[in-house]
Amino acid sequence: MATSGPANPDHAGRAQRGSMRRDRRRALIWSYVFLAIFVVFFLTPPIYMFITSLKTSAEISAGSAPWWVSDPTLKNYVELLTSPIYLTFFRNSVVVALLVVLVTMVVSILAAFSLSRMKFWGSATLATGVFLTYLIPDTLLFIPLFKIFAYLHDLTGIEFINHWWILVLLYPTLTIPFCTWIMIGYFSSIPKELDEAALIDGAGYFQLLTKIFIPVALPGIIAATIFAFTVSWAQFLYPLAFTTSTDQLVLPVGIVTTLIKGDVFNWGQIMTGALLGAAPPLIIYAFLMDYYIAGLTAGATKG
Amino acid sequence: MTTSKFDRRRFLAASAAAVVAPYVRTARAAGSLAVGFWDHWVPGANDALAKLCNEWAAKEKVDLKIDFITSQGNKLLLTITSEAQAKSGHDILSMGIWYAAGQAANLEPVDDVVQALIAQYGAPPAAVEYLGKQNGHWIAVPATAGSQMKGPCARIDFFKQYAGLDPTKMYPAGAPPDKALSDKWTWDTFLVAAEKCHKAGFPFGIGMGQTPDSVDSVGAIFAAHGAHLVDAQGNITVNADATRQALEYCKKLVQFLPPDVFAWDDASNNKWLISGKGALIMNPPSAWAVAKRDNPKVAEQLWTFPAPKGPKGRFQPSIPFYWGIWKFSKNKAAAKSLLNYLSQRSAVEQLVQASGGYDIPGFAGLRDFKIWAEVGPPKGTLYHYPPSGDQIVHVSGAPAPTSIATQMYTQATLTKMIAKFTQGGESMDKVIAWAGSELEGFMRV
Amino acid sequence: MRKFLRRKSTIAFAMALPLVVVITSLVIYPALYSIYLATLNKSMERFVGLGNFSFLFKRETFWMVVKQSVIFAVSAVLFKALIGLFVAHCVHNVPAKGQRKWRGMLLVPWVLPPAMSTLAWLWLFDPSYSAFNWLFERVGISPVPWLGDPYWARFAVILVNVWVGAPFFMIMYLAALKSVPEQLYEAAAIDGANWWQKLWYVTLPMMRNIIAITALFSLIVTFANFDIVRVLTSGGPVDQTHVFATYAFNLGIQSNDIPLGACVSLFMFPILGIAAIFILRDIARRGTEA
Repeated sequence: MATSGPANPDHAGRAQRGSMRRDRRRALIWSYVFLAIFVVFFLTPPIYMFITSLKTSAEISAGSAPWWVSDPTLKNYVELLTSPIYLTFFRNSVVVALLVVLVTMVVSILAAFSLSRMKFWGSATLATGVFLTYLIPDTLLFIPLFKIFAYLHDLTGIEFINHWWILVLLYPTLTIPFCTWIMIGYFSSIPKELDEAALIDGAGYFQLLTKIFIPVALPGIIAATIFAFTVSWAQFLYPLAFTTSTDQLVLPVGIVTTLIKGDVFNWGQIMTGALLGAAPPLIIYAFLMDYYIAGLTAGATKG
Repeated sequence: MTTSKFDRRRFLAASAAAVVAPYVRTARAAGSLAVGFWDHWVPGANDALAKLCNEWAAKEKVDLKIDFITSQGNKLLLTITSEAQAKSGHDILSMGIWYAAGQAANLEPVDDVVQALIAQYGAPPAAVEYLGKQNGHWIAVPATAGSQMKGPCARIDFFKQYAGLDPTKMYPAGAPPDKALSDKWTWDTFLVAAEKCHKAGFPFGIGMGQTPDSVDSVGAIFAAHGAHLVDAQGNITVNADATRQALEYCKKLVQFLPPDVFAWDDASNNKWLISGKGALIMNPPSAWAVAKRDNPKVAEQLWTFPAPKGPKGRFQPSIPFYWGIWKFSKNKAAAKSLLNYLSQRSAVEQLVQASGGYDIPGFAGLRDFKIWAEVGPPKGTLYHYPPSGDQIVHVSGAPAPTSIATQMYTQATLTKMIAKFTQGGESMDKVIAWAGSELEGFMRV
Repeated sequence: MRKFLRRKSTIAFAMALPLVVVITSLVIYPALYSIYLATLNKSMERFVGLGNFSFLFKRETFWMVVKQSVIFAVSAVLFKALIGLFVAHCVHNVPAKGQRKWRGMLLVPWVLPPAMSTLAWLWLFDPSYSAFNWLFERVGISPVPWLGDPYWARFAVILVNVWVGAPFFMIMYLAALKSVPEQLYEAAAIDGANWWQKLWYVTLPMMRNIIAITALFSLIVTFANFDIVRVLTSGGPVDQTHVFATYAFNLGIQSNDIPLGACVSLFMFPILGIAAIFILRDIARRGTEA
């Protein structure tokens, strides 16, 4: 809320400023109150996950005090961190995410450089059009992609479906458009004089890219990298549809499909698994929060 | 869930095989096999199956890969359909209920294996043959692991105190059922007992959701009243008096159930019973097995016995499981050999033992194991679990043709009808009309 | 030849080529292929043209899914926008030094993978063990069948979606709020405007582009949402929380009817397209005005 209270023209200036200060303070207190309420709302589920992860199966089944741990144990964490299955999930997630980030950044940076600086036939449409690919959601594509990969398997004999590398092919479709868009924004804001100076000095386009653009737009690159990593890590639909064997699963699907099963009071382990699965993006966010936010808001401020 | 114990054993088996390998290198090239088994709900049952498979693999020098796939969230079904679409994946998959019949066109006929087993151990029940034999051929081998009955599992103390019934007298341990008492165990007495337990604060927990536990229970109720949605020829017979009777019955029953049964999944009724909140659920012994570990006081009071009798008979909800070999498998000979190995008496006995009596072998001659009489506490709790006497083993949706029945099952038409009639407040005619249009949709080719 | 290769436009094209290849082969081609798939019969052997669509249109469940998807998407985006705007203002009011930690805490739902946090909500809503119901019982309110009753289930699904998405709106609006020049507010204050008038006549107009773009982005993502509904309710009870994505998954993969699944998915596209055209046109128009 912006400063509240009408300015009363009858009072002298000092009284006016005084009332504004009072109103400002009132607005501030209310802001804190509401912020606290929303923080409680936003943070309750992760905190509850943490509380549950410290409970034994017996304590959960008793159901006596869900919001407090009376008998804390690290057993769930130990079991998961030493379980080969869970570690496989984790490893698969890491490998897929890193490869996808690599592919995404290479493709996006090249494309963004080309679209923001060099003109060729169709470049303007491509620059705006790349964002329109988000109009075609993954929930539309997974079915035809399924058939396409089955066909490719017939054709080439390489097994795509039910192997983690299919995800490395699919995830970039989700990350490249946005990352390209971010990079175009950052690259466009680099003054053209820098280009010209470098070109006069005899630099080729490749050197222009690596020696000038990348260092100057580094915040944007970091932001885009974080975005690509987070999206890859959290993906659920593609892995659910395309991978079924336990050793090919990535974390989100692995936890939801293998930990939730007949052993009905495994919620301690499920919450632990979910928390550990959410940890990498959370840690990256904690350390690189400013870059994270900068990436998201790139659209807001650079239009 | 495969625990680290399983992996250690598998590692040992694999390394043992590796030691033998140098001497038989050419024979080892005789193949690799990938199998996907149903992830068993009873803790420890997977290990037994894996052990047997690895024994076989070591003997036959086959490179074996085992996956355990859960049925929660329809994962097993998803795996089956995606492998059928992709024409690649495992060689053998566990397929429960209608899933094998639904994939008949993609499965390798196994008449040779099954006929040999029938000759050894006798024929399986009609329901098992109905699902496993399509167009005159056995398209999958009746499996032990996973085949289950879903009859009532009730709290003896609550039944005695509130419902005035004693399951241990109706179906005593180590003896045949008491004729007089079991004849009175009908769906009507069931309803009365449900009401009494509901009033006492410990309602029955019969799921009305879209997962198999719910669909199976309701399937038995409908069959017991003679209500079939589709007949054996594929005609839609939902608009019949029997259906209306069954719907009315379910409406009365639902009043005595917890309000959120419409969202229950396969684990919800287990949780309901184990937490001590419920007096009865329709479930195989997995709930009792987990209660033994997590809430022994409840487990001591549990008794498993047959379903009630209806006007048309005592229909026992069941899920037969099968092991199917894909037509695209590259090592069918090895696959058939493995399935034969797993169906031999000694193997079956180990599986049933490890599952704590949960698994019901498909072939009649293999149902004489002592385990059901021995497990406890309370002793004899599973004595009446394997089907016998006047029970008709039933699969929800029968006798409809399999392509329609599979969809009725996965889309949970029966429970949705009940939900619409009760929670949804729709009129009987509207519900039947809706069911009719759904069924027409299932006829789609 | 070498001159051609060294030409600026060729190099530019080559650099943009990977992008074009990825998008064409893995987005555009499958989208077109799905249109083709939607015209086949169930076993994918015969061409039935628009037969699948007419089949779908006759199903009551399908129209229910359409209605649910629209209500879900529109109400969720509306709440996310309102909450985002409100919270952004609150954060903006706080002195600059303190803003960082509030911002940090408030963005957490967006950072956590939705499939993981939805599991926490699933446990919070559990029929037998809901921690919320436990609190309710303590204060005498009867327990709520969060996922069992159709209306509560729809509420639960929207609630979780709003929980995940509101921080995104907040952060975008906060950035936009900061870029509104202070002088405009001072001018309005001199003219005697109260807080509501400042909001309506200064803040919102300046933020219009951001509000529109964020709403569009979110509408698309929410409309096509899969994870939350799938983990929380799988579309139940009785298909009352199905949205296009989960229904398509149910029909296409679970019921083994891929053409029908493709039809359901395709239905999303025109709705999204129309929304996108309207909003983008609005932005472009205002862009030329400015």
